[in-house]
This record gives sequence, C-alpha cells and structure tokens, in this order.
Amino acid sequence: MKSIETSISKKLSELGVADAEGLAPLFAEVRACFDAELAVASDEGSWKLFRDAWLGRKAGVLALITDNWLKPASPELKRVVGAALNELRGHVEAKIEERRVAIELGAESSAAARDAVDLSLPGVVRPIGSRHLVRQVFQEIEDIFVSIGFSVVEGPEIETPYYNFEALNIPEHHPVRDDMDTFYLELPKGAASPLLLRTHTSPVQIRTMEKMQPPVRVIVPGKVYRRDNPDATHSFAFHQIEGLAVDTDITFCDFTGTIEYFVRQFFGASVKTRFRPSYFPFTEPSVEFDVSCPFCGGSGTAASGGVCGKCKGAGWIELFGAGMVDPAVYGFVNYDAKKVSGFAFGIGIDRLAMLKYGIDDIQVFFQNDVRFLRQFP
Amino acid sequence: MKVVYDWLKEFVDVPVSAEELASRLALTGTNIGGVENGPHGAVIDAEVTSNRPDCLGHLGIAREVSAIYKTALKKLPSTTGKLEPAVGGDALQKVRVDIQAPELCGRFTARVIRGVKIQPSPQWLKERLEACGVASINNVVDVSNYVMLELGHPLHSFDYDKIRDQRIVVRRASAQEKTRTLDGVERVLDAGTAVVCDGDGSRVVGIGGIMGGADTEISFATKNVLIECAWFDPIAIRRAARALRLHTEASTRFGRGADPEMAGAASRRSAELILQVAGGELQNGAVDEYPGKQAARKIRVTRTEFLRVMGADVSDKELEATLGALGFAPVRIDDHRGAAGSLLAAWECAQPSWRADVEREIDLIEEIARIHGLDKFPPRLPAARAGAVRLPHFEAEARLRERLIGLGYREILTIPHVAEERDELFRPSGVAPARLANPLSEEAGVLRSTGTVSMAASLEWNLNHSQRNARLFEIGRQYRLVGEESVETRVLSIGATGEAREQGLYDGARDFTFADLKGDLDAIGMLAGGFRWEAKASDGGNHAEPEWLNPAKRGHIFLGKEDLGVAGQLSRRVADKLKLRQEVFLAELALGPFYCAYYGTKNARRYEPLPRFPAVERDFSLLLPEGVHFSAVAEAIRALAIREIAAVEAGDLFRGRNVPAGKYSLLARVKFQSHEGTLTDAQIGEFSAKIVAALTTQLGAQLRASV
Repeated sequence: MKSIETSISKKLSELGVADAEGLAPLFAEVRACFDAELAVASDEGSWKLFRDAWLGRKAGVLALITDNWLKPASPELKRVVGAALNELRGHVEAKIEERRVAIELGAESSAAARDAVDLSLPGVVRPIGSRHLVRQVFQEIEDIFVSIGFSVVEGPEIETPYYNFEALNIPEHHPVRDDMDTFYLELPKGAASPLLLRTHTSPVQIRTMEKMQPPVRVIVPGKVYRRDNPDATHSFAFHQIEGLAVDTDITFCDFTGTIEYFVRQFFGASVKTRFRPSYFPFTEPSVEFDVSCPFCGGSGTAASGGVCGKCKGAGWIELFGAGMVDPAVYGFVNYDAKKVSGFAFGIGIDRLAMLKYGIDDIQVFFQNDVRFLRQFP
Repeated sequence: MKVVYDWLKEFVDVPVSAEELASRLALTGTNIGGVENGPHGAVIDAEVTSNRPDCLGHLGIAREVSAIYKTALKKLPSTTGKLEPAVGGDALQKVRVDIQAPELCGRFTARVIRGVKIQPSPQWLKERLEACGVASINNVVDVSNYVMLELGHPLHSFDYDKIRDQRIVVRRASAQEKTRTLDGVERVLDAGTAVVCDGDGSRVVGIGGIMGGADTEISFATKNVLIECAWFDPIAIRRAARALRLHTEASTRFGRGADPEMAGAASRRSAELILQVAGGELQNGAVDEYPGKQAARKIRVTRTEFLRVMGADVSDKELEATLGALGFAPVRIDDHRGAAGSLLAAWECAQPSWRADVEREIDLIEEIARIHGLDKFPPRLPAARAGAVRLPHFEAEARLRERLIGLGYREILTIPHVAEERDELFRPSGVAPARLANPLSEEAGVLRSTGTVSMAASLEWNLNHSQRNARLFEIGRQYRLVGEESVETRVLSIGATGEAREQGLYDGARDFTFADLKGDLDAIGMLAGGFRWEAKASDGGNHAEPEWLNPAKRGHIFLGKEDLGVAGQLSRRVADKLKLRQEVFLAELALGPFYCAYYGTKNARRYEPLPRFPAVERDFSLLLPEGVHFSAVAEAIRALAIREIAAVEAGDLFRGRNVPAGKYSLLARVKFQSHEGTLTDAQIGEFSAKIVAALTTQLGAQLRASV
C-alpha cells in the first residue's frame, strides 16, 4: 500500500490530474495495489486488518479516495471519479468477500481433519436380542403357506392315543407304532384314557377336521416327541409343521404342486423335487419327498471334488413324508370319503434348519448357548 | 431284506443292472438302503415298508420287477412227484394236527421226510444265506431259512422223533406258561400267544410263528424231519413278540401278514430242497389244517375315482398290465369295454392272498400310480377357497417377541423334560406335575411344571460355558396334571444374568439389577395396558409366594385383577443348588391373559390431543420414613385431585450420609399441565403448597427443598 499512500493522501489537483485521461492510471495503480496485496489476507485476523485497511470508514483506502479525490473534485470531474470509485469499490468488496468465504472453508476443512471420527471404531453398542433359529424357520415356512391360503392352527402336545394313533388309522399293535417310540404320562389309577406326548403334529389334523367342514387348508406348527436316545441327529423333542388340505377337488397333482411351490420358495427356484412311494397308515398314496441336494446342485460331488457330505453323494435329500389323506381317516371325522379328498404332510423343522444352515448337531438348538443364538440375529 | 441279484433272476428276467434296478425300485415304493457288489454278486439292500410283507422274499421283489418292466414271472421247476396229493396221502398216518386256537393259527401244514442225513449245507446254499446275512446251521435248518428268503414265508423243522404221539396241537398258551426256545432262553408266555405243542398238548415245542422250542430242535442225530409251514394271525404275533421282546425273522413276516396260500407252496419247496441237500424219503402228501381259508376278495377300481384322487390319467393298457403283473387279475366290467380310455371304465380285481394290504379301491389306485411313477403327475397349485388366518394370538406374540428382542433378550427353545428334583425347586405347592411313565432317564423324568426351570438351566449352561452375560426369553408351555387331565399353559419365561451394560469405549459396565428386570417387564406391560406390581400374590391365585425368589427382590405382576406371574432375583438357596455363582434374575408370566389384554388395549386405544400450553415440572426433595413407598407418595398427590397434575415420577433415591437413620430421601417430580392456558407461578405455588401439606401430614414427610 506504500506505493499508493502518497497519491491517495493528496487531492487530484495536487496530483495534477484534471480530466478522465489522467484519472485512469491513478485508479489502475490503486487496483493493482489491491490485487497484489489481497493474498496478505490469509486467515481470519489478517483478513479483518486487510478489510479495514481498504474499507475502513475513516482511514480505509476507499474512504481516503472519497475524501481526497472525490469530494474536492470539480463537478465535471466528480462524475468520472465517482464512476471509477464505484467500480473499484465493487471490485474490492467482491474480492474481500470471496476471500472471506475461502478462509472460512479452509478453516473448516482443517478443523475437519483434526476432529474427524475414526470410522473403524465401534459405535455405542446397545444390547439387542434375537429370534431362535427354529422360530425363524417356522415363521418362514408359515409365511409361505399362508401366502397360498393355508391357515395356522395349534394343538396340545399331550395327547390321547386316539388322536395320536387310532383316528389316524394306526390301530393298536400296528407295526408303525413300533417306529414311533412314545412317551406316556404317569396317571392316577383308573384314569379314563392313557396320555402320551404326541409323536407327530398329525393329531391336529383330526382335531381340525372334527371342528370344521371342508374346505380345509391348515398348517400346524409345534413340538413333537419320540423316545429316541439323543445324539447329533436325534432329539427326543423336535419340531414339525403339519399341513392338511381337504376339499371336494383336491388331487395328487395339487399335492405335488403345493409341495413344489413350498420347496422352491424355501430352497430356491433351481431345486428339483422327487416323490417316492412310501407307506404311512394315514395317507394313501403315501410318498417320501426328496429334493435335489441344494449344496452340490444334485451332482453328489462337493465343490472341493469329494463326495458331497450333505447328500452323501446321492444327489438327493429326503425331506419328509406326505401323501393323500387315507379315506379311512375321514371315517373318524365324519367326512364323506366319496366326496372329499385331500393331502397331508409333516415337515421336520429342525432337520430343515440343519440342512439349510449347515448345522451338524441337533442338540445346539436346545442348549441355547448365546454364542449360537448370536449367529442368527 | 437283502436281495441277491442272481437269485432274483431265477424268478424274473431283469433287463437292467442291479444299480439301475435299485433306483427304479426306489421310485416305485421299495426303499433302497444301497447296493453292494460282493463275493455273491450284487446284493440290493431293500428297506421294505411294514405294509409289504410280500416283499420280504425274493419272489415278492421279482413280482415288483415284473410289474415295473412288464416281464413275466418264471415258474420254479418241480423235481419230485411225491409232493402230491397236496393234502392227505401217507403223511396223514405219520402226523396228526389239531388247531385248537384257529383265531391265532389260520393254517398249519406238515410234511414228514424220513432218513435224512443232517450235515453242513452245500456251498451254494451257504453262500446264498451268507449273502442275505443269515448264518448257516445245518442243511435242514438252512433250507427253512432259504425258503423263507426266497418265498417270504417262514417255516420250522422239528426232529420228528422227538414229537410225542406224532401229534401236533396248536393252542393258546396259559398265563405264565414257561418254555425253552431253541436259543436256550426260558420264556414266560401269556394267554395271547399261540403255542405249538405235541402229544396231549401239554408240552410246548414252539412259540407259534416266533421261535421253535429247544426240546424238538434238529440236531446232527436227527433222522426224521417234520416240516411245519403255518400261518399265524399278524396282530397276535406282533403283540406276543413285543410282550416276549423276541423279534425274529419269522415274527417280522408273520407279524406284518404272511400269505396263507403260500404255506402249501413253501412247504413243497422246502421238502424238495431237503431231499436235494439232505436226502431221505418223503412221505406222500401233506397234512393241511386250514380253518382260516378265505375266498379272494373282489375290489373294483374305476377311472373316475382314479382321476378324482390322482388328477391325471393312466392308459387302460398300462393300468391292466400293472395290476395284472402284481396279481390282481383286472377284468373290465363296465358297459363301454370297447372304448379305450373311457371315463366310465371300471375293472374288477381279485385280491391276491399275498396282498392283505390291498383291500380298497384307493389301494389299487396307489398300486397303479406308484408303478406308473409319481413324478409323472403334473404339479399344480390348488385354488385358495378362503382367506388364510393366523393363530389368534399371532399379532400379540409377534409384538411381544419384537419388544423383547428390542430390549436385548435372545429367544430360546427348550425341551420340557426335566429332572423331578429340579422341577420341584420352582413348582408352586399343590401343583401336580406331569410325570413320564417311561422316561429315558431321571434327568428327563417329568415335564416341566414351570418355564423358569428350563430358563434357569439355560442360564446355567451359559455360565458353565463362560458366557457370563445373558438375557434370554422363551415363549413356551408349562405342563401340569389336574386329576387325570393334562393342562398346558402358554408362558413367557425371562432370565437375565451378568451385565446390563458391558464395558465399552464410551460407557462403563453396569450389572443387571432388579430395576432392569422391572423396567423391561413394564416395557412389555405397556403392550397390554400396563402391569401392576404387588408384593404379595392375590388370595387364591395360582402364584403362591415363590420361595425360589429372593424375598427382598421379587414381585407379583398383575394385569387388572389377573395374577400373571412373578419376577425377581433367584434366591441364594436355589442358586447354590444350581451352582450359579452370580446373580440371576427370572420372571414367568401367563401369556393367555396377556394376549387378551393386548387386543383389548389395542382396540380401546384413542388419540389424545397434544397439549397446546407448556408443561411445568416441580421437584420435591423429601425425607420419608422407611417403609413409606413411592406408591404412597404418588397416591397422596393424586388424591388431591388437582386436574393439572399430569405425572408424578421418582427422580432420585438416596440413603445414608446426611439422611438420618430410619429415613430415606426421595425426589418426587411432579409435572403440571393445563389444557386451558399457561400455568402461572401463583398457580404452581398453590399446587405445591397443597402437595407439601398432604405429604407432611399424611406420610410424615419432611420437605428438604422444592425446586
């Protein structure tokens, strides 16, 4: 500013300027000086000093120019000085504002660099719970069947032999009873009926049909019990979902279609299905239902090249038993077997969950170790 | 049932390899355990379902092959003419048979061969038995087993000379009657068991259809042989085998239902083979007592019914070929016999004696469908006929579960079988548990009468596996007996131990306390209109004072008048018994009333307009005598019936230091709110004065300060 200090402290007349021609170099010099010194305003403090030096009301450069050049000028020169001064002021004000914004931004980014959060650190951890895996699978399966018109019902776990066996066409001494080793309750002497822990969710088929007339479309989630010694694949309590559809027009094709729909929803569209004839007293025809192994794609060979551990090389995994409701069952619930037909199935949930999530020990479901529970949030 | 591929081929031409056959069998109803290629060629492990005893012999499997591949069954060549007549002949002079229990024994045939030479079996016979996993004993006994494996019909051979009076009596055993079977074990019989006796019928020489007796066993000294080939009632056999805990190849076959007609053929086949491998001379003819003979049942199958059940068709030709090959001899009987594929087509079939399982039209439909291939029926989705409905408590349970998870609880599932002594720790007095009559072990001898017993066990598991912090819940059932009736009740169990907040970057650790449990439960209670806590159970309620909870830190939870359950800290006594070395908190609530209240509250909930004027809070720092509870303070304030009082809360609690003994310091925070205007200092001052006066006079409170 030194370079212009002298000129701005003198009147134009003192500087020998009497017309616009002589005025231009003077303003050019002031402007050049401003532009050259602008960089001095590098932080908030120096910016304020710089701003005051130029725009200060009393001693700022522009105030001096007003006082010394403009005010004493002759009326005709005043107009020209005024115009030049306004232009200069516009330039100075714009540049100083520009500078302020730049300084503030700079300050922000340096503060940001200093105060930035470490994103690799955890946030505040709030405890959050989880649904049991078996419950998750239950829910998933329920949702699939509800979406195709099946209602959900429940029944007691402590049953009579009538509902668990007889009404399902399994009379006493039927060989199938040998395969379903059963827990019985200790009852007071003279009790009217023995009580047992249901060996399947099928008794609820009977309880449902006793209560309602076709059309019936229900699924029954629940716990079931078989008197097997526990090991990695056996638990004396486990979970099933029973399904039952009875109507005037249900055929085997509806049955396979329903099962296929379920499996594709649950395992994915690429899974293939297979129905093998089997035998259950309460269905006829009875089937065992297989899916192509979802782990090796049905090839029987694991990705590593060895035999697939999930299907043991068979390419198929046996999922559950099912079939068309045996007409004899309708006799127990007063349905007309000549007019209605239907299908039933029983899906083992624990096994399905083990398959889908690669669990090799059924006992982990019931130990409830929080390290297990945490894995399925 | 082990099926020897080469043996099978003696009955039917098999157009494919053993492996291919096995996979076809698997898809037509014979489950396959595997195929082994051993010294006896391919052996297929057929896991025959219990309804198909006919497939417990090579002939039965051959019949399946014949139906699958539509190749005819072969006839076995007969080698001797002495088998005729089928009934009568010299045999009648050699043995008499008297069936005194025809309801247990429907047929009994006997043949006699004299002058046999008992010796080890020839190689071919040994090998066949070995391939099927049956031990070789001697030539005559081996023939019995061979014929059983071939034709599926069990036989028994007696040492003829040891049969007294050349007389066989089949009768019901008397209760507690004893006999020694040929495995050397003395068996105690009951009245439901058929026994084969000799002489006057007093000596048991075999348990009918299950195992022969030791007294008349074939030995190397045996010269003359009596071949028994009989038929026993399946239900009686199963019952007897279970009672005796004696399950044999014979009892399996008779128990599932052997073919009564086969008895004659099997006897002939057996005689033939004995002559071949043991020599001797066959007495002409046979004794054949057959009180249970039945005429073949006629069964109809129609195309309309087939379509009604299966939803897709099978051609006339295939249907007839399949039923024909399986022995059902189908005959078209409708009026449209010329028209192939007629929708009105009907066939009459004859039930073969070996297929007791096929009695109805549906059974025939299954036969046709399974041989046709179940995968050939085109899948389709049935139309939904009504809206699908969730369980009535679905929504309430989902909200409850969601809230518990939000509060940090993990859901568990447990097995309700627990040890009686464990159950007792938590069981309210007067409750009868559901005990198992046949538990697997004492540790699982009773069904839990409370959810907490399982919850405590789950916490115990975690503590024993170094998982010190756990917050768990279970939505399950408790099981009890009332008289001879079982009662299953839905309950929520909650368990927590360890830290409520773990040491982290921003906060220090804090142990779980009773207040955490209460707060969490109240958060649940909000779903159902809010819980009320009481120190004591309601009179006559089903939750007596729970001795398993620390009396200083427990409470009863009510919803309206309903006593839902209890919550608190596990007592030291029970914790020590379970070896739990840190504080454990448990709660159990009945869910039925909770779910009801959930829906009631939800439906009754209405919008409350938001206040337009600011609320004002005043804190009252009180010195209260011990024993005067916060509820009394809140009650006294509310009793003033000042409309502008919107809430009374406990702000701070303090004992000791400047607080004299026998007193405690409580900060009561009162919120004033008017819907008419902004409250003035004068109004608040007036309210406060009333509050202070009420607390001082009614509760003996001293005001430390009010702000």
